[in-house]
Amino acid sequence: MDDQGCPRCKTTKYRNPSLKLMVNVCGHTLCESCVDMLFVRGSGNCVQCDTPLRKSNFRVQLFEDPAVDKEVEIRKKVLKIYNKRDVDFSNLREYNDYLERVEEIVYNLTNNLEVEGTKQIMEAYQRENRDIIQKNKAKLTREQEELEELLLLEQQGNEQRRLETLQEEQRQLQAKRKSKQALLDELERSHVPATILLAQHKDRAAQLETQIEKQKQVVKTTIFSTGIPMGQTVSLLPVTRLEEVLYLYQPIHIHTYGPPVPELEQLGRLGYLNHVRTAQPQDMAGGYNSGLACHRAIQDAFSGLFHPLG
Amino acid sequence: MFHISSQKKYWTFDNEESLEQLRCEANQKYRNKMLASGKPGVSDAVFLEAHEEIVLFRHYEKRLLDFCNAFKPVMPKSVVGTAIMYFRRFYLNNSLMEYHPRTIMLICAYLSCKVDEFNVSSTQFVGNLVQESAAGQERALEQILEYELLLIQQLNFHLVVHTPYRPMEGLLIDIKTRYPLLENPESLRKSVDDFLTRATLTDSGLLFPPSQIAMTAILNSASRAGLSMESYLTECMGLKEDKETLLKMYDAMRRIKSLMKKYELPKPDEVNAYKVKLERVHADFGTNSNTKRKRGYEDDDHVAKEPRMTEEEWTDEDLDLDDL
Repeated sequence: MDDQGCPRCKTTKYRNPSLKLMVNVCGHTLCESCVDMLFVRGSGNCVQCDTPLRKSNFRVQLFEDPAVDKEVEIRKKVLKIYNKRDVDFSNLREYNDYLERVEEIVYNLTNNLEVEGTKQIMEAYQRENRDIIQKNKAKLTREQEELEELLLLEQQGNEQRRLETLQEEQRQLQAKRKSKQALLDELERSHVPATILLAQHKDRAAQLETQIEKQKQVVKTTIFSTGIPMGQTVSLLPVTRLEEVLYLYQPIHIHTYGPPVPELEQLGRLGYLNHVRTAQPQDMAGGYNSGLACHRAIQDAFSGLFHPLG
Repeated sequence: MFHISSQKKYWTFDNEESLEQLRCEANQKYRNKMLASGKPGVSDAVFLEAHEEIVLFRHYEKRLLDFCNAFKPVMPKSVVGTAIMYFRRFYLNNSLMEYHPRTIMLICAYLSCKVDEFNVSSTQFVGNLVQESAAGQERALEQILEYELLLIQQLNFHLVVHTPYRPMEGLLIDIKTRYPLLENPESLRKSVDDFLTRATLTDSGLLFPPSQIAMTAILNSASRAGLSMESYLTECMGLKEDKETLLKMYDAMRRIKSLMKKYELPKPDEVNAYKVKLERVHADFGTNSNTKRKRGYEDDDHVAKEPRMTEEEWTDEDLDLDDL
């Protein structure tokens, strides 16, 4: 499957990784060296289908299936003539029919069906619609140009930004180097103890560092990642504010229908725990303590004690 | 905690009349169903009257209590209380004629063992039917498992029952802590326990909060021992100023006591007469969903056991615990 190879010299990609396969209008492959050898004079016939070919029409095969390359080539040619766009039609139906026709022509040419007839149809079409074709061509080129211009601008911008950062980095490096040099000089000359000088240097270095950071931030924050400059108000639909009353926590109050139950923590202090079985160490291991059972019993004892009767 | 429980919300009723009404309705509902079904031999005479049902209910309730008390390993009191409460709740909305109390009482006990964390396996459980042969125990087990879900559904999935036993413990702790006037509260325990057991056999659990029942039990036992605990209510419970609540509590206690005084064991001859009626109703109109379901299983070849004996073959006498 992977053995893409030249049908003439039988070389494959596996044996010669640098093998370059070429494709011509007929859709049959040949390797580069074979092309060079067979088409020394600039033209010749295809080895497989005898179609007369020109050397200059050979392209590097981009797709695994050479037929795709052929189709791409043909499509390019056909679309040069059939360059109408949806605005040229009065309704969608007509436009779709037109596209269908184009597909048919491409298919026919690719698969060598009624080549002559198809070509005649194309020529007839070209003659009839010469004006429109010309006009659309001009339009397309204009659009192309605009697009290219945009791309160019973007590229320039990128380049400039790159340069700027480069310069900035260089400047910082220089500043650092300078301060290091100054430290060395001072250590050489001054009579102040070295530790103090070092501390001073450290301070200065830190200052420099923060300065750089700040600058970076300044640089960074002029523009959003979306390309919208900061500070510019983007006109969006105003967010409708929902006016709601803020949630206010109210402690839960459960009516127990009985006298108040002492808190779990206070049971020991109030002496309740003297009247229950003390928890054994093996009970405590599971997280149990005698207060829990005691509290539960008292809760149950008081719950509903004053329950109103019907 | 009782005050936020389903027991307070759904299973505590205002007065005895509403309980009575519910039982009459259940009885009537079953009658209507049977009359509408058009089975042969259906007439008003064959059915049990509501008051007859109550007599039988008492009988089976006592049997349930005896069964639980004879249970090995010893069943905690709260499990017994829960079982009896299930039994009461179930027959509040169902007729004894529709579901045989002999089956339901066992299921109540079985379910309360599960719910109240008293761990016995199902074989261990039916092992307590000491009068039964191994095959009979097996049969009982099957019935228990079959009707268990029905019971849970009829209890409306309200499985937590607040029995008065823990409130009683809590009150004793509280009395020991805050009411040193009473010298030996532990001496009351036996009569309090006795009181609570008798209270479970009345409707008090469906009418009063468990804490009130426990309080009644303690005050009653104390006054029998010649001790007055009125100051406990006024001082420790903070009812000195709240005369109204105090009076209401006394009223509740009086009602609980009168409920218990009214209780009497059904007379054996009455029970026997009604039992005959009950068995007849079950034999004649018993909707034996049992065999229906089993047959369905067998069709699917899920079970390939020996043909099952019908429910009727398992009689009361097999289960009699009176001579235990």
